[in-house]
Amino acid sequence: MVVGLLMLVGGVAAGAFGSLLGLGGGVLIVPLLTLGFGLPLREAVGVSLICVIMTSSAAAGVYLERHVANLRLGMTLELFTATGALIGGSVAFLLDERLLALLFAVLLLYVALTMARAGTPEPVLDPDEVDDSPAEPTPEASPTASAPPSDPPTLLDGLSGPGYRVRNLGRGVVVATGAGVASALLGIGGGIIKVPLMNIAMGVPLRVATATSNMMIGITAAASALIYAIHGGLDVYVAGPTAIGVFIGATAGSRFGHRVELRYLRLLFVVVMVYTAIEMLLRVVA
Amino acid sequence: MSAGQTARSTRTASEARALAAERLIGQLLIGVTYVSVGLLAIGVVLMVADSISPTSGGPPLDLSTLGAQLVALEPAAFLWLGMLAVVAAPIGRVIVAAVAYARESDWLMLAISIGILVVITIGVISSVTLTA
Repeated sequence: MVVGLLMLVGGVAAGAFGSLLGLGGGVLIVPLLTLGFGLPLREAVGVSLICVIMTSSAAAGVYLERHVANLRLGMTLELFTATGALIGGSVAFLLDERLLALLFAVLLLYVALTMARAGTPEPVLDPDEVDDSPAEPTPEASPTASAPPSDPPTLLDGLSGPGYRVRNLGRGVVVATGAGVASALLGIGGGIIKVPLMNIAMGVPLRVATATSNMMIGITAAASALIYAIHGGLDVYVAGPTAIGVFIGATAGSRFGHRVELRYLRLLFVVVMVYTAIEMLLRVVA
Repeated sequence: MSAGQTARSTRTASEARALAAERLIGQLLIGVTYVSVGLLAIGVVLMVADSISPTSGGPPLDLSTLGAQLVALEPAAFLWLGMLAVVAAPIGRVIVAAVAYARESDWLMLAISIGILVVITIGVISSVTLTA
């Protein structure tokens, strides 16, 4: 019972920190369960996938209700993230756990470096603070933002939103597939890949990119979570308390995030992530 | 009414339907998420009542006995149902979107929606086949 309570509390902490720092919970839940509770990495990834679906569904629901997320673009990319997740989920059961741990350590170091250099890798977007009005266009988001839609309308016109025009769909497809593979292998939402992809490479305003990425996490993680569940890589006794904790933490984090001084929290987090990455690497060597 | 005005009003009606569909999908996601949290919470309470340790190793998913286990108030059954609800939320979102696109005769987006569902189905079938 004490272990269950600790998992719940750990989940709350992971959800809250993840929400405050704009990370999906996955990057925190996997180390928590592997290093903190001795769970095999693959089972931790399975639990993490459930947690990221739950937090993303609640937030994505609000974004869609308020028309912030670009549903058409998100679904188009989802076709490829889901394909990547199918590949990653299948490959995950063939790979040595030490290789997965190595990949996770590299991911942690990358996130820590990104955070240390440029603040949060994925900006916090509190669903409750989103306007009811459709997403505000960001003119500078795309050099073709003010370009009129072509006649007859192309696929890109159909995927574009008010005030911005989507570009580089081919690159988007390739990177989205990679994000799906990473999500399934490491149990992460993949926002750290998808948000920069949509914002920088595809010309989608940051706010819309964040909301759309959040929406996409659900289907990407669902594709691989089912594979994990069927392969026996999902322990419900661990997933139950952890997922509830993450949901509570993420909800609290998004509601009270504006009251927290993020600078020191971020610094603390960089240190924790580097330490966790080293611990993971030591496991690989051991 | 001129041809241009007719086209504009048709487009506005189409956009309004698309926004309504997005709202419906959003509500679906939120609703199912809360249902799944409720099911997981029941499962965890039953775990505590039965003094089950989370590290004791949960039973695998068995759909054939899930109903009977729910009636018997087995914690794992509620937890698995909660997990399935979690996974069903985004999949349900794609299904609702597919129906909306079909109504709008938006064949490309309908094909993409069906493609997503096909990919997920392939994942499930291949996993079941491999584990069998």
